[in-house]
Amino acid sequence: MAKEKASGKQEKKEAVKVRYGMVIDLRRCIGCHSCSVACKAELESPPGVYRSWVKIIEKGTYPHVRKFFLPSLCNNCENPICLTNCPVKATWKREDGIVVVDPHRCIGCKYCMASCPYDVRSINPLKRIVQKCEFCRHRVDAGIEPACVETCLGRARIFGNLLDPKSEIAQLLATTPTQVIKPDLGTFPQVFYIEADLDAMNPMKGWKGNE
Amino acid sequence: MDIRIFYNIHYEMPLGILIAIYFYLTGLSAGSFVISVISTIGGKTEYKPIGRMGAVLAPILLLLAPLTLIIDLEQPPRFWHLFLYLNLQSPITYGSFLLTTYPINGLIYAWFLFKGNARWAKILGLIGIPLALCTHGYTGFILALGKGRILWSTALMPTLFIVSAMVSGMALVILAAAIRYAYRSSQSPLAEQERDRGLILSLGKTMGALIIADLFLVGNDILVLLTSTQEALHVAHLILFGKFQPYFVGMEILLGGFLPMFLVFLPWTGRSLWGVVAASILVMVGVMVMRYVVVVAGQYLPLH
Repeated sequence: MAKEKASGKQEKKEAVKVRYGMVIDLRRCIGCHSCSVACKAELESPPGVYRSWVKIIEKGTYPHVRKFFLPSLCNNCENPICLTNCPVKATWKREDGIVVVDPHRCIGCKYCMASCPYDVRSINPLKRIVQKCEFCRHRVDAGIEPACVETCLGRARIFGNLLDPKSEIAQLLATTPTQVIKPDLGTFPQVFYIEADLDAMNPMKGWKGNE
Repeated sequence: MDIRIFYNIHYEMPLGILIAIYFYLTGLSAGSFVISVISTIGGKTEYKPIGRMGAVLAPILLLLAPLTLIIDLEQPPRFWHLFLYLNLQSPITYGSFLLTTYPINGLIYAWFLFKGNARWAKILGLIGIPLALCTHGYTGFILALGKGRILWSTALMPTLFIVSAMVSGMALVILAAAIRYAYRSSQSPLAEQERDRGLILSLGKTMGALIIADLFLVGNDILVLLTSTQEALHVAHLILFGKFQPYFVGMEILLGGFLPMFLVFLPWTGRSLWGVVAASILVMVGVMVMRYVVVVAGQYLPLH
């Protein structure tokens, strides 16, 4: 009996061993904004708000210049501060790690937006609730990839289960140097970047709001 | 190196002036309540009118404060979710209970105080002091847990908020006492007039001491910001030399801090009623600007 119970527990643990994440390979990104367009079309985001967009910076003086891209989206953190701070439990982490927002429960107090270190949450101007990237959970639940991943023409976005050693994303993470945005905050982002530029990841670089 | 941002998305600030006004109102309420209880328990009969004024002001201000919060919601009719779906980790959840229990306790306290029931007024006042301090201290926690905003996420924030609440509450009580003095001085006997005047001046001295504590905390905060991370340095420059310099350095520190401190401590203004009243008005404005600077300058830096 005891053995059966133990094995049953183990099975249960294996059943929840899914942790979705994304790798964005900037060696392949051409900055075409297809992901932003696909995201808007898929989730019907109204004008002015984006759940995913591409930050572009320019560096250097002619002729030694280059553009750098940083596709930005919710990092679906392992330890999200928005989840701690939401007073009505309208945002929570699913067992597969996706941080979701319940549109019927959110009261729009905007505390999650104020405390998110990545500023990836926004108010939907039509529905008057907070929205963000949820790794296209409706598509993932149906067994297909998020809209931005499917549409990316350079295949710069790789989405999958981080805990499955056979998945492309796990193998890529194991063999390639990657980075995350603001690792010092202890949020443990689950969106990883390959060859991301330090200045593109730094919000203060190129910022002229104080002048 | 020359770096230009070519394309990026920025959203407007999530929290605005309404939240600053909310912090201001709860601060005024908590400060005047604590002063009311201290002057009631303190025993001296000349302090009794102060106790009554604070007891009236505190619940009125705190009935207005939650209204600003509900108006600020994107979905105001859903405010009852705060009581139904509790997230015990969130500071806002502490707030929804503190903002209901504290004014109720304050109203019962005021009722007993005006009935002349000293024993129950004392008991409810003693219960009310931690409630009042928590009601304002939790707003500091709201900001302190805002992990992404470097101006907010400091352990000093709750203490700083409580001290500035005491400062502004003291200023409000002084103004109320001065208005009372202006109306009553013509009818009351000379000895009572002199006593009321002395009381206002001594309240001014206490306010000066609290202003020193407040300036000390703000100074600590700024010094640490100036030697901390890149973002901290940027936000310190923003409020010291940048866009918020007139508000922070000009209005909060000089006009709302040092000037009233000198007004109440220097002999030729500290002994005049007008000096103390002017200091109180400056403090009331200065603390409001402090709330504004914390809320808005805290969200001014880009995060991505």
